[in-house]
Amino acid sequence: MTKRRISTPSPTSQADLSRRKFLGTSGLALGGLALGPALLAACSSDSSGGDASSGDNELWFENWTLYIDKPEGELYGKGGTLDSFQKASGQKIKYTEGINDNNEYFAKIQPLLSQDKPIGPDIIALTFWMAGRLTNLGWVEKLPLDKIPNSANLIESLTKPPSDPTGEYSLPWQAGMAGIAYNKSVTGRALTSVNDLFDPAFKGKIGMLLEMRDTIGLIAMSLGIDLATPTFEKFQPAFDKLQEGVDSGQIRQFTGNDYVDDLEQGSFAACIGWSGDVVQLSASNPDIGFSIPESGGTLWFDTMQIPVGASNVEGAAEWMNYVYDPVNAAKITAEVQYISPVQGVQEELRKMGGDAAALADSQLVFPDASTLATLQSWGNLDEEEEALFDAEFAKITGA
Amino acid sequence: MAADTSSDDRGLRKGKWAPYGLLSPGILWLVLFFLVPVMILVRTALSSKASRFANPEFSWQFSNFTSAFTDYGPQFARSFLFAGIATVSAILIGYPLAYWIATQGGRWKNLLIGLVVVPFFTSYLIRTIAWTSLLKDNGVILNTIHAIPFVPQDFRLLATPAGVIGGLTYNFLSFMILPIYVSLEKIDFRLTEAAADLYGTPWQAFKKVVLPLSMPGVFAGSLLVFIPAAGDYLNNRYLGSPKTSMIGTVVQDKFLVQFDYPVAAALSLVLMAIITTMVLIYSKFLGTEGLAV
Repeated sequence: MTKRRISTPSPTSQADLSRRKFLGTSGLALGGLALGPALLAACSSDSSGGDASSGDNELWFENWTLYIDKPEGELYGKGGTLDSFQKASGQKIKYTEGINDNNEYFAKIQPLLSQDKPIGPDIIALTFWMAGRLTNLGWVEKLPLDKIPNSANLIESLTKPPSDPTGEYSLPWQAGMAGIAYNKSVTGRALTSVNDLFDPAFKGKIGMLLEMRDTIGLIAMSLGIDLATPTFEKFQPAFDKLQEGVDSGQIRQFTGNDYVDDLEQGSFAACIGWSGDVVQLSASNPDIGFSIPESGGTLWFDTMQIPVGASNVEGAAEWMNYVYDPVNAAKITAEVQYISPVQGVQEELRKMGGDAAALADSQLVFPDASTLATLQSWGNLDEEEEALFDAEFAKITGA
Repeated sequence: MAADTSSDDRGLRKGKWAPYGLLSPGILWLVLFFLVPVMILVRTALSSKASRFANPEFSWQFSNFTSAFTDYGPQFARSFLFAGIATVSAILIGYPLAYWIATQGGRWKNLLIGLVVVPFFTSYLIRTIAWTSLLKDNGVILNTIHAIPFVPQDFRLLATPAGVIGGLTYNFLSFMILPIYVSLEKIDFRLTEAAADLYGTPWQAFKKVVLPLSMPGVFAGSLLVFIPAAGDYLNNRYLGSPKTSMIGTVVQDKFLVQFDYPVAAALSLVLMAIITTMVLIYSKFLGTEGLAV
């Protein structure tokens, strides 16, 4: 695949900056500024510069960075999804890339939503578990599903997830898998099991993700623990195994998306990684491989939700309906290279030809049924359980 | 207007209001951006939360401080150890450099000092991430080290204390060089000639004349390096491992991942208190009279 993304002044060898990669670095940088909820609240309304309430009922969608197509690098570029949507519906849309990190974004909106104040955007696209948290807290509106007929096009396994069992509060934006990423020039072989990550031969060369659900999830699945009904007690063996790995020096580091660099540079022999990154990485470096472990991988997805107090629910429904049309969805997939939740995207990509058609054959973008069957998504963690998970994970990562 | 000026003049002569008038912008700034935040921090540190995602409520919750003290001993210890070593390393690297620029720089002085500041044109984060490329396991630096006999096969710099300390030293080095340079620049180096006239060796002249006179710069530089280094979390995040985590790592995680604002605030206050105490002891030991850098 050729690179179609805008290159960035990153010091890394990869010019591409995927959404998760951006998450890893800038989330931290911004995190440093986040001194407290009050401060965060103070800057929540101006994250994008534009005026939130510009009168004529504009629709505001706040999303992750580099998570939509940008013709010629322009967000509203001609022929792009946003531009076409505005033309097709007559609905003005404002699209901002204000989400860098789930927790950071939550810290930003929490002071407002806990006081029933609107946060500004009509749609936000947090990851499923965070979406589940917002749903539990009662901070999101029920979706007007009757106005989103195209939601019938969605891949069934991606709707009504454990984080939203009735499917009334969230709809998927894009999805991806976490599995094992490895550098063959260091490992000398393909890795296919989570236990390979604990192989003493790779001591000090193993990376894990700071994203608790992916790291603990993969280890738990390798121990036969299922993710659908998580409790802290049940997951204790997974935490123990991770702790042992840290204590013995097997695990070198916990990273965000910067694992991509460590992997490519050979500082990591293998690590837990995300499918979307590896699609891009393996294109330029054939030594980089990705596998869904025999015991299964995790399936994560970001969802669209309407926060309480949103001023344009109607427009939001119109937008969701628009992007669930396979023709429109394919345009987004061609650019962002994650798993699309919409059926028929594969065929549309083939029709587009060129790079897009090549993407249609990628197992990481269109995993086959047998792969999908091994994937699991996390069930909802209630407040107290989640606090236990986060605290235990923090202890292991050194925080 | 004229009347005002004359009354101001009188005020100035009597020295009554003018100092306060001149101080007011500074005081206002300190109150707004230092005192108020610290008070909010104290308030949060003494708060408790009804549930995980509720806003903290003030409740004299002193147990936050106990947990800050007892649970994170290793991280505190590492923070001060790493920051201490980084400060000493920065003196060892920065002093000779500043000395050389001040004494030998000649007409290139300003350019050389400019070069010291050049790294600041790149973001701190990017500079730290760049180190991961430089120190990578099979990079030029590591390969060279591995070529030396008797270096263990698994020797590495990334994800080790040395990596973190190196990063801290590098990132804050300029803060050491600049104040030392300024204090050295002020020294009249004819004093060393005088020392030589009195049969002092160059080393004695340096030790008894130049070094004491430049101590204010070393003192200021130490504070400028030590304080941010002790609270830093980025260097550990990119160059360290779970075993090298510092207190900043904990504060960041408590604030942004665990939403434990009260304990995070308590940790920040404990850190501030310890640093303040250390600085007071240090200034007592080193003296700050000549600190008019």
